[in-house]
Amino acid sequence: MTDTMIELRELTKIYPGTDIPAVESLTMDIPRGEIVVFVGPSGCGKTTSLKMINRIIEPSSGHIVLDGEDVTNVDPDQLRRRIGYVIQQIGLFPHIRIGDNVATVPNLLGWDKERTRARVDELLDIVGLDPDIYRSRFPKELSGGQRQRVGVARALAADPPVLLMDEPFGAIDPITRTRLQNEFLRLQDELQKTIVFVTHDIDEAIKMGDRIAILEQKSIPAQFATPEEILTAPANEFVEDFVGAGATLKRLKLTRIREIDIIDDCLTGSITEDKHTLRRKLDESDWTALLLLDEQHRPIRWLRAPDFRHDRPVDQMGLPAVAFVEPHATLSDALEEMLIGSAGVAIVIDSRGTFQGILDIDTIINSIQLMRDESAEFYRAEKLIDPAEVVS
Amino acid sequence: MPVLVGAVLAVALGILAHRYRPLRTSILNLTSWFLTIPSLAFFALLIPVVGIGDTAPIIAMTFYALLPIVRNTVAGLTSVDQAIVEAAKGMGMGARARLIKIELPNAWPVILAGIRVATLLIIGITAIAALVGGGGLGQEIYSRGINRIPSPGSLEAILGGTGIIVLLAVIVDTIYLGIGRLTIPRGLRD
Ligand SMILES: Nc1ncnc2c1ncn2[C@@H]1O[C@H](COP(=O)(O)OP(=O)(O)OP(=O)(O)O)[C@@H](O)[C@H]1O
Ligand SMILES: [Mg+2]
Repeated sequence: MTDTMIELRELTKIYPGTDIPAVESLTMDIPRGEIVVFVGPSGCGKTTSLKMINRIIEPSSGHIVLDGEDVTNVDPDQLRRRIGYVIQQIGLFPHIRIGDNVATVPNLLGWDKERTRARVDELLDIVGLDPDIYRSRFPKELSGGQRQRVGVARALAADPPVLLMDEPFGAIDPITRTRLQNEFLRLQDELQKTIVFVTHDIDEAIKMGDRIAILEQKSIPAQFATPEEILTAPANEFVEDFVGAGATLKRLKLTRIREIDIIDDCLTGSITEDKHTLRRKLDESDWTALLLLDEQHRPIRWLRAPDFRHDRPVDQMGLPAVAFVEPHATLSDALEEMLIGSAGVAIVIDSRGTFQGILDIDTIINSIQLMRDESAEFYRAEKLIDPAEVVS
Repeated sequence: MPVLVGAVLAVALGILAHRYRPLRTSILNLTSWFLTIPSLAFFALLIPVVGIGDTAPIIAMTFYALLPIVRNTVAGLTSVDQAIVEAAKGMGMGARARLIKIELPNAWPVILAGIRVATLLIIGITAIAALVGGGGLGQEIYSRGINRIPSPGSLEAILGGTGIIVLLAVIVDTIYLGIGRLTIPRGLRD
């Protein structure tokens, strides 16, 4: 078992009747268990590159090595049953039921009925569709988002180690797309498939990719690196332009709150304490406000010194606590919560609502600065070792 | 009968025409060329070969049935969403399985419409078959009707024969509606 699942070696595609190759000498190692995203401007050859992997498009020259085996010349139908395939148009078969759609590859592989049925139900479950409801529906009786889920289930049916996805969430409204992306990432956490994912949307690439290949015309990689590296150390002007303005903002979407140091020593008080104790706590501390927690340690209100002047019960003093985020949320989510709640800080809670700490704008800015420095260091170090590898 | 033979032959030709582009125009041209031969002339041409009787009209009608069916088969197969063909291919379905399991079922509504048109066309032509000695309703219109004008009962025979043909067409149409219900997959109906 090597660490590389798919090796592309000098893959070239010249379409019949054209002189200029659509893909020229593409060489790339796709690591096992990672999502590699091909991203680049329209017509740069992403789709052509992807479809050469399962030989929907036959390469003009070059080799494809799958899990150590050269598959450039094996029977394409056998090859394709080992590679899941999801296309933008989804391509569910309209004349058969959802269950039969999902069962396509198991049927081709000659699985027995019982095994296939069990697998279909399992998969529908995995992609969040109740098998009892959806198994016997027809594709036209599903929404776009549900169809896309079925498309993913169908591709996963025979548990292929590799998944190819060509703009799988392209034709879906933004809200559903975000949800499908998140679900898919969660799924991938469990499945650990090797995935090649094509998109023309850099934001989607940053979100989905463990590694991103930014492709120029003829599928020439301008940079093949992690999202962090691409955002903090673009290899050249092309990458910089493609990533576009707001690279820093995009970094916010990459970093999860649990990855940074949040403020966990801020001043808290309990609803079980009386007013005077709370007041003394606030006066004695350096903090301008105290976060009041309920019996289960869930934040309820912010109290400041002037709030104690009014004669109100503790749980009605001050301002209600807002801008809650969980540790798996991104810095971008935290910032958004702060903006929505007009709060200077976001409150980090766990899934049960228990207080974990707080996060302010400075925390966010500092962590970005820190990551930028680290990444730049890493980039310089790598450059010294092997310049060709970094710039490619 | 002619419809059945014509349909099988035509769907096969249609598949061929769809698969091999260079053949497409020649097959379509050939079948439409058959239709331009006036039916009487066509029957007449066949008589020296197969003689007077049922055979000539049946052969001729089979050829007439070809065009609408071939054309609709090609149109039906061409109109199958390329995305589902690619999805099938991408999952490792071979060319033949793709044709049988994916392409034909999805083209079927259009092919069936072609077969229906062919049937109606043939019912119309049947009337003329009588001229060359074939039996059927044409005989009613022709030998007992037109031939005997103005003898009594001739008009009734013409109208009666025509009426029955119209009725037949309506009945056949209804039958096709039923066939459609039974054979078009539910996922394709709207
Ligand atoms: N069947 C074909 N015959 C000839 N040229 C083709 C064919 N398919 C694609 N091309 C050309 O090859 C190039 C790469 O096309 P490809 O579809 O791989 O681009 P892409 O990066 O996927 O673009 P998009 O983002 O628009 O989907 C384009 O210049 C395109 O015009
Ligand atoms: Mg494309």
